[in-house]
Amino acid sequence: MKNQTRHTPRRRYSLGLAAAAVALASGCATVESPSPRDPLESFNRGVFAFNDAIDGALFKPIAYAYRDLTPAPARSCIRNVFGNLEDVWSAFNSLLQARGHDFFNTLGRVMFNSTMGLGGCIDVATMNGAHKINNDLGTTLGVWGIGTGPYLVAPIWGPTTLRDGAATLGGLAANVSPITPIKAIDDVPVRNSIIGLYALDTRESLLDADELVNRTALDRYSFIRDAYLQRRDALVNQRTSDGAALPDYSDDELPDYTDPQPDTQ
Amino acid sequence: MHDQHTSFSITGMSRRLFMAACVALAALVAVAPAHAQAPVDPKAEPNVFVETIASNALQAVKNDEAVKRGDLKRINELVDQLIMPYVNFEKTTRLAAGRHWRQANPEQRAALVEAFKGTLIRTYSGALANVDAVSRIDIQPFRGDANADDVVVRSLVNRSNGPSVAVDYRLEKTPQGWKVYDLNIENIWLIQNYRNQFAQQIQQSGIDGLIEALNRNNLK
Repeated sequence: MKNQTRHTPRRRYSLGLAAAAVALASGCATVESPSPRDPLESFNRGVFAFNDAIDGALFKPIAYAYRDLTPAPARSCIRNVFGNLEDVWSAFNSLLQARGHDFFNTLGRVMFNSTMGLGGCIDVATMNGAHKINNDLGTTLGVWGIGTGPYLVAPIWGPTTLRDGAATLGGLAANVSPITPIKAIDDVPVRNSIIGLYALDTRESLLDADELVNRTALDRYSFIRDAYLQRRDALVNQRTSDGAALPDYSDDELPDYTDPQPDTQ
Repeated sequence: MHDQHTSFSITGMSRRLFMAACVALAALVAVAPAHAQAPVDPKAEPNVFVETIASNALQAVKNDEAVKRGDLKRINELVDQLIMPYVNFEKTTRLAAGRHWRQANPEQRAALVEAFKGTLIRTYSGALANVDAVSRIDIQPFRGDANADDVVVRSLVNRSNGPSVAVDYRLEKTPQGWKVYDLNIENIWLIQNYRNQFAQQIQQSGIDGLIEALNRNNLK
């Protein structure tokens, strides 16, 4: 039994690698007209398949087990404590973007949740109508006028862009990121466990979205890519103009718009 | 008895009022069960129109025993009954297909709309899944031109604990009143998210291939 469990991850890893190799080889051949924002689509699809293989074999089952084994209040407390740390980072980015209103709102959330919310365990700020304002370094760079660059699928990490990926890696390297306070913990096993729990919590929070994508997507890769790019663009647009611009479908409007419509039965 | 007929006494009046109040109260109790659906008026203000539809659907989902057991099919049924009548999914499909719509003949168009309907229902259901007893839909103040023919209604779906989910509805004015044709969940517009997928599938296997792929998805 012990022997078996020790070997399982390695076997699954090699399985994932094999799947990735196959996907990489086939991926390069199948993409006919990549989207302008995804020039590396063949490569990305390969990494996407690799991630899916590892995720399906390892991370997703763990996340489901975590969801099944942990009582909902405990999970929500853990989520909110990490959310509180993220808020500190969001506030800092609002400051970088010269958005004073967002900065003070988020700072208020952190102070309220850290005290009344028992160290962030309960999101009392949201309950009182102070909604979360998500923010990060990638968005800040976008507000500063830097485009996303090509879409990328990073191994294990998942969807990102050149801009967002560089912001994440740069932030980690410079030790300015949501997990900076965690990294300050001296006890290495404790620190790594907390980072592991953060990753687990993040994966668990994505399970519902994952199921929705599986139920609705024609092509999961395209669906996730377009959703990621839309959302990232909206976060920047909301901050640079008065409201996110609505998608304009009119350039494809039909000339025969007023023609009698076919019977839909 | 005789007295009451001759003089309209104070006591007679108050008795009548009391009776009227009783009748009104009884009527209220009779319709009070949470299953009662508020009537939807497509010609009302866009915010009111959306709020009525959304809260009807939310109430129904909250009170449904099958949904509480995690029956996703039942949410789909409720969405089909309570939301789809107010959705112009022909327009949704046409805009998602974009320029390819022109290549499709009338039969293909009809089949495509019917095939995509399942995906739309599952997406609207997704916005309603995971609601709990205290979930609430807050319609945000209307921004933009109230006289426009193409408007957006913004809402927040609040849950007991955890971040609220932003859900926006895009509406067009038709002679029959407002119709929803696009949906935004957390900054992701539905039509926009299907354009590449449609184009890609049509490129690979034509309109018929797309219809087939959508129907395959409906069976999952």
